[in-house]
Amino acid sequence: MNAKDPAYSSVDEVRTRLAEQKYICDRNIATVVYLATQLEKPLLVEGPAGVGKTELAKVIAASIDAELIRLQCYEGLDEAKALYEWEYAKQLLYTQILKEKISEVTEGTKTLSEAVDRLTAQDDVFFSNRFVLPRPLLQAITNEHRTVLLIDEIDKADAEFEAFLLEILSDFQVTIPEIGTIEAKRIPIVVLTSNNAREMSDALKRRCLHLYIDYPSLELEREILRVRIPGLAESLAGEVTEIVQKLRLLDLKKAPSISETLDWTRALAVMNISDLGDDIVKDTLSTIAKYEGDLRKAEKELDTHVKKKRAEAVAASGAAAQPEQSDKDVLH
Amino acid sequence: MESRIIEFAGVLRRHGVRVSTAETLDALRGTNVTGLGDRETFRATLRAAMVKRTSDLETYEKLFTTFFSGLGDLVDELASASAGEMSDAELQDFLDSLRDLIENQDIDISDLARALALQDAGALEQMLRELMDSRPMQTPPGDNPSQQVREAVDALGAQSLAGEFQRLIQAAEDAGMSEEALEKLKEYLAQRAKDLGEMIKGMLRFKQEQKETPEQQVKEFDRLLDKSFYYLSPTEIKKMREAVTALARKLKNMMATRRKRMKRGRLDVKGTLRSSMEFGGVPFRVRYENKRRERPQIVILCDISDSVRNVSRFMLQFVHGLQDLYSRVRSYVFVADIAEVTKLFSDNDIQTAIQGAINGDFVNVYAHSDFGRAFKNFHRDHLEVIDGRTTVIILGDARNNYNAAHDWAIRDIAERAKKVIWLNPENASTWGFGDSEMALYSKHCDLVEECRNLRQLYKVVDHLVMD
Repeated sequence: MNAKDPAYSSVDEVRTRLAEQKYICDRNIATVVYLATQLEKPLLVEGPAGVGKTELAKVIAASIDAELIRLQCYEGLDEAKALYEWEYAKQLLYTQILKEKISEVTEGTKTLSEAVDRLTAQDDVFFSNRFVLPRPLLQAITNEHRTVLLIDEIDKADAEFEAFLLEILSDFQVTIPEIGTIEAKRIPIVVLTSNNAREMSDALKRRCLHLYIDYPSLELEREILRVRIPGLAESLAGEVTEIVQKLRLLDLKKAPSISETLDWTRALAVMNISDLGDDIVKDTLSTIAKYEGDLRKAEKELDTHVKKKRAEAVAASGAAAQPEQSDKDVLH
Repeated sequence: MESRIIEFAGVLRRHGVRVSTAETLDALRGTNVTGLGDRETFRATLRAAMVKRTSDLETYEKLFTTFFSGLGDLVDELASASAGEMSDAELQDFLDSLRDLIENQDIDISDLARALALQDAGALEQMLRELMDSRPMQTPPGDNPSQQVREAVDALGAQSLAGEFQRLIQAAEDAGMSEEALEKLKEYLAQRAKDLGEMIKGMLRFKQEQKETPEQQVKEFDRLLDKSFYYLSPTEIKKMREAVTALARKLKNMMATRRKRMKRGRLDVKGTLRSSMEFGGVPFRVRYENKRRERPQIVILCDISDSVRNVSRFMLQFVHGLQDLYSRVRSYVFVADIAEVTKLFSDNDIQTAIQGAINGDFVNVYAHSDFGRAFKNFHRDHLEVIDGRTTVIILGDARNNYNAAHDWAIRDIAERAKKVIWLNPENASTWGFGDSEMALYSKHCDLVEECRNLRQLYKVVDHLVMD
């Protein structure tokens, strides 16, 4: 429908528009986002926790000035909470209150069937949109504005919900028995995210474009830090990313993600630490290592890093760094 | 390009990546939108449309390279290498003069020789690609590489190449080329002839890579499943580890669906009342609560003496790999003494933990197996960890070296526990003979299973998560 009104006009535009929202991504992500908007296909985003899957949907919405409608999935999520709910109570209440009006309508009728006929003419009142309580999916479909529908953590929902979702994602229309079929006014941009708690069904995957977001490269991560934390010293950003990237190669229970890198760097920035050799840095490591064992490994990695930096400094400035070196020996 | 993409989908399928027709169509539509200009964009487009499983990404990247760019890259690379010390401009001049020579002297040479000499990368790639796609290899792949190269040379009509180049040099000499330039030309052409050999080898390699089907891997996997734990080489242990991880994941996926089916529980009064509004207060549609399922707790006792160490290794990996299906897993290892190793698993990644658990840091692995003593000590020190929700798994061959069996300890454990399962890695027919106390112990167990290979182990674990 809105082929004449595409969200973006080129892959590069996606990249710059997302960058304006402070979302730095590689060409791969930009290409897939562009494809999803052009082909009007849902986008299934997978990847480790904290690499910015949910964030991607948010910035897409912000970058094209669309409304973001979010559906958070969980075990036991059902149609009534995702699509719409019929408000029987309200309907019942209305008919109770309007009893007199109803008798007015049926006044003067001789037979029962005549009365029913009269009432049937007023059918619309009883079965109308006013008794439908729209939930995220229906909201997204009926929205007049451009919409980004974020279906978050789809892997947490049950398999049946997935099947139900399929129907909506392929046709973008919903049938409400009391009212009829509602078709999408504008096809929303649909982003599904999954942490891979379970494998999604092939049927769902077939209908979606697939995007796997991995941990960013060293350069990309540094760029992300630079953009997200203004005023950050270039050297600190470099060192932080270097350590985090190394940590990811280790066998950790929970490898640090971009969000952890950001947390850690923010912590360092708040505490005004510019030298990672500071003892206090160790206390901030809990922002990137969430398990006891991981924490120890992170500390070790930090130590080797600091030592290496020191050695380089010594080599560079000769005697100048000597006292610092001995100071460190005392500490140990 | 369309046919290339469709063909590529076929290659992906042969390698076990499931690509449907609809997805291939998406890929075609996608390339129409993003264009073919940029290779990375093209790569991302096909990836998004055709590869939906994260585990397939690696295969995709490899195949994409060989399929779309490998050959072209190789041809380009060799061409730039052949330039030797010449700068770009010099090379251009050199090629121009060569072209003039060929055209003016009207030298009759084949397309192949011409493309090689003039560095027509596009034409070369085309020729090689056609050869690659059209001809089935006569010699079985990997059988005799030099024979395959010869076949390819014949097919390209490259036997006459040497003669053609010779004619070219002759023509250049006749045209009055300087001694020095002539020498350079000879060298250059000799190099290009060698390059062709490289290209053919490269092509055969790519062809091989595309042909290779993962069927062999599937067979390998099947073989591993049935291979007895007793006879595993170190490489097999490594492969087995991956197999266990894969099976654990499969089991986890299956659980999601299964749980659902068993969920219906008690009458949901509130829900039923609410839905009765729909029918004017008549409880027409009855609602049920979701049954709260108790996740099983598991206590696992692993014999880590030499004879059964491998089974213990994989059992531990299995159970801890499925940690989130259970509310709690506690692991103990024993030979003659018994020790808890649960903490090891919470602090380390799984392989380090397993290695640590079975290498003798906790109990002396060189002692003689003494099940009786181990059970007695467990009974004395750890009995309180077992309650009505606990499933106890004991892994061992029950070869007790004629020590006291102390089977009363197992009896007491069984009384407290929900269930006791004994897994024996020995052939069932040998149970109870010699120093095996299986007959005595099995009296107290709810389930006794032979567990000699991965298939049997999988069956047991499957059974465990079911109830």
